Amino acid sequence: MKDIRKVYYPDIVAIKSATFSLLEGEIHAIAGENGAGKTTLMKVLFGLEKPDKGEIFFKGEKTSIHSPTDAMRRGIGMVHQHFMLLDNMTVADNIVLGMEPKKHGLYDYIKACDLTEELGKRFDMAIDPRLKISQLTVGMKQKVEIMKVLAREAKIIILDEPTAVLTPQETKELFHQLKLLKKDNFTIIIITHKLREIKEICDRVTIMKSGSIIDTFDVDKISVEEISKRMVGYDFDLSNEKSKLRPGEIILDVNNVSLEVDGKKRLDNISFSIRERQVLGVVGVEGNGQKELSDVLNGEINSFTGDIYIDGVSLKGMKVLDIRDRGIAYIPEDRMKDGANLNGNIFESAIALKSKDKAYRKGMFLKVKKLDDFTGDLIDDYGVKCNSKYDIVKSLSGGNIQKIVSAREIFEAKRILIANQPTRGIDIGAVMTLHEKIKKLQSEDKGILLISSDLKEIYDLAESVIVLYEGKIVARIDDIKEVSEEQLGRYMLGIDKMQEEAVL
Amino acid sequence: MKKTLIDFFKIKGFSLQKFIFESLKTIMAILIAYLIAIIIILFVSDNPSESIYWFIIGPFSNIMEFGELIKKAVPLMFAGIAACVIVKANQFNLFTEGAFYIGGLAAALIAIYIKLPAVLAVIAALVGGGIVAALFGYIPSKLKSSLNVNEFVSSIMLNFIVLWIGVYLISNVVIDEVSGDTATKIIPEISKLKVLISGTNITYGLLIVIGIIILVKIFFSRTLPGYEIKMTGDNQRFAKFSGINVERRVVMAQVLGIFIAGVGGAAEILSNYHRFNWKTLPGFGFDGFMVTIIAKNKPLFVPLAALFIGYLRAGADLMAFNSDVAQEVVAIIQGVIILLIASERFFSSSFFKRLLDNYKERRNHKRMDVMKNE
Repeated sequence: MKDIRKVYYPDIVAIKSATFSLLEGEIHAIAGENGAGKTTLMKVLFGLEKPDKGEIFFKGEKTSIHSPTDAMRRGIGMVHQHFMLLDNMTVADNIVLGMEPKKHGLYDYIKACDLTEELGKRFDMAIDPRLKISQLTVGMKQKVEIMKVLAREAKIIILDEPTAVLTPQETKELFHQLKLLKKDNFTIIIITHKLREIKEICDRVTIMKSGSIIDTFDVDKISVEEISKRMVGYDFDLSNEKSKLRPGEIILDVNNVSLEVDGKKRLDNISFSIRERQVLGVVGVEGNGQKELSDVLNGEINSFTGDIYIDGVSLKGMKVLDIRDRGIAYIPEDRMKDGANLNGNIFESAIALKSKDKAYRKGMFLKVKKLDDFTGDLIDDYGVKCNSKYDIVKSLSGGNIQKIVSAREIFEAKRILIANQPTRGIDIGAVMTLHEKIKKLQSEDKGILLISSDLKEIYDLAESVIVLYEGKIVARIDDIKEVSEEQLGRYMLGIDKMQEEAVL
Repeated sequence: MKKTLIDFFKIKGFSLQKFIFESLKTIMAILIAYLIAIIIILFVSDNPSESIYWFIIGPFSNIMEFGELIKKAVPLMFAGIAACVIVKANQFNLFTEGAFYIGGLAAALIAIYIKLPAVLAVIAALVGGGIVAALFGYIPSKLKSSLNVNEFVSSIMLNFIVLWIGVYLISNVVIDEVSGDTATKIIPEISKLKVLISGTNITYGLLIVIGIIILVKIFFSRTLPGYEIKMTGDNQRFAKFSGINVERRVVMAQVLGIFIAGVGGAAEILSNYHRFNWKTLPGFGFDGFMVTIIAKNKPLFVPLAALFIGYLRAGADLMAFNSDVAQEVVAIIQGVIILLIASERFFSSSFFKRLLDNYKERRNHKRMDVMKNE
């Protein structure tokens, strides 16, 4: 690819100028901050976006790729960050979608299953083709996505943030498969900002920063510190010390909470408490009760048994607003749906909580000027990349949306912040900003419940940790430093469990 | 540096480019729609030039006809802004239709049976019409928010209930036997909306609706309930998550919209009728949704969209009256035009984008040429 330029309509420049090359049979990492243009560049390569300038050379020949179908024909496949699978259909259905084997003009399901199994054997990805997608774990869904691409005979595979949602074990498995593919002379591009992964499996790394390519390096010849420095443009300490703060009074007290949805136990006898100046980490493979736990805590679900107290007052029967008034703020897991109004502008999403504050309105009239200034401060404070406060939220990158949502909630956390995956899919620079803010909250006597699938984040911020598996607390760890990442992974997957008395 | 008007808008998230695109799109749609209309007229009329004259130029031929255009646009503005408020909350409560009817009836009855001094009489009739409509409108909105009954269906059914209540009243209870029609007594002159511009039929209704549109604009951009309604409409999950009482806002938007439609019905009766004698639904409520769709659900564009539909209708009426084009054909032409304009996606924006990109490139080349020459 040479000198690619992409300008989003009307005037947001996503890629200024990018030139990079890909060698056959390598694993190539594209690293960079949020909004650096990594995904956009790959979308250009995959034909989802048209470049406004520049040329693409494929095997020495100048080509233009107009559509994903075009890209597929040339053997380029892409696995998106958000999976694009049909939940109600089986694995085999999804894999052959758009190229279904036919028998007498009708869809031949048996053949589709055979095809899937054959693929699985060839690339060492065992999966039952007759399972429905909705029954699969995240890791398995990703496998299906990769197989989908392989079934279309792609030789170049683009993976957008493949490990963001995986457990350490699943990540290991994925890397094993990627190495196998590499051996088979497949070329793989990984978009990532996890530096350890780059070091672990990639051959070369291309670093992008605000729409431009900084450079491409051989991974052996560059250190992790060097990469992060070039990505962010400044030095930061990767091994920062956790502040040692003595926890104070209990703020949030969760007592024997259970929740049943459609006859299935989603939360099973959960008890824990959070004190002032304490960060409690909640880890677990996705779908093991984290979502339900945060729904129960923010008043979305009221039908639980047991009780939850905040500063000694029971939350039972309280509405979302009542609970928020007690000083709890939430960073939601799904920033696109719960966290922001994508079709509105930044201003509208930023003032969602402040607009209710008496200081920001006179009767029912909003003090628009004051709210305006607040939005401006929020953007400056968290370094949200945008043209103005009135940009449509949809036009921002995922990380920048996350910053707006997190900033708004952190501003409102009077007693407790419940952060559900606060830094998923955002770059190191933004992660550092958010971690700083969370630590600052902690030093201001607030309690934090950190639900995260990024174990590094847990190690960085939390002191004590609970592990959820199938709605139960299977492990309770007072000092995270004493438990290895592997051991944590074993708890998460339900392989190991702590003794009952240790948990209760 | 001096701030221009455009700079000012830019700060507020206004993109002139985008605005020009959008306008171009609409104008193109209108032109094509009229082209099709003209072709249809050419086929069916023996004297097409005259038919086309009445259809297109007619409404502007004299002040009386122009007044007719405005008169037709006023209820459309009422209905449009009413629908706009409801659609902002992402609701489709079609009771604006019934609200026009019942609001008009209530206003007529208040005017006839409650004696009040001059200005007060008008205000009482207008507000009373709105309140009666809003009381009825509360039913489908509450059903929606509490029991999740689809407001689209329940509001359509309610339209007929209200219609037949009204017809029953004017043919049995409040009928004026002298009139020889199923209608109420004559509405006293004191309660009626006076003519605003002499020589036309434009009444003070125009000023009232413009006032309401401005208030709605302020409501959505400056007040907490307005903001919350908009958030609820855009993304209900987000609204709920940030502690907005979604149910209450959904009801509020619908009741507010229906109140406006009720006032619209009242204004229509008090402006243009001597007695209340509607025996069918007036159709304005449905038109309102069309108006707000054309106006992209922006309050300030509602008058423009309403004026356009008013112009179309005034021209069609003139053509039907003055030429050999049959009434039915006129209706078909109206349908085609509205269909084309309302289908926002008829012209993909990428087409226009390419057009502008080409233009920009050429302009840049030209600039470079100029620089070279220098």
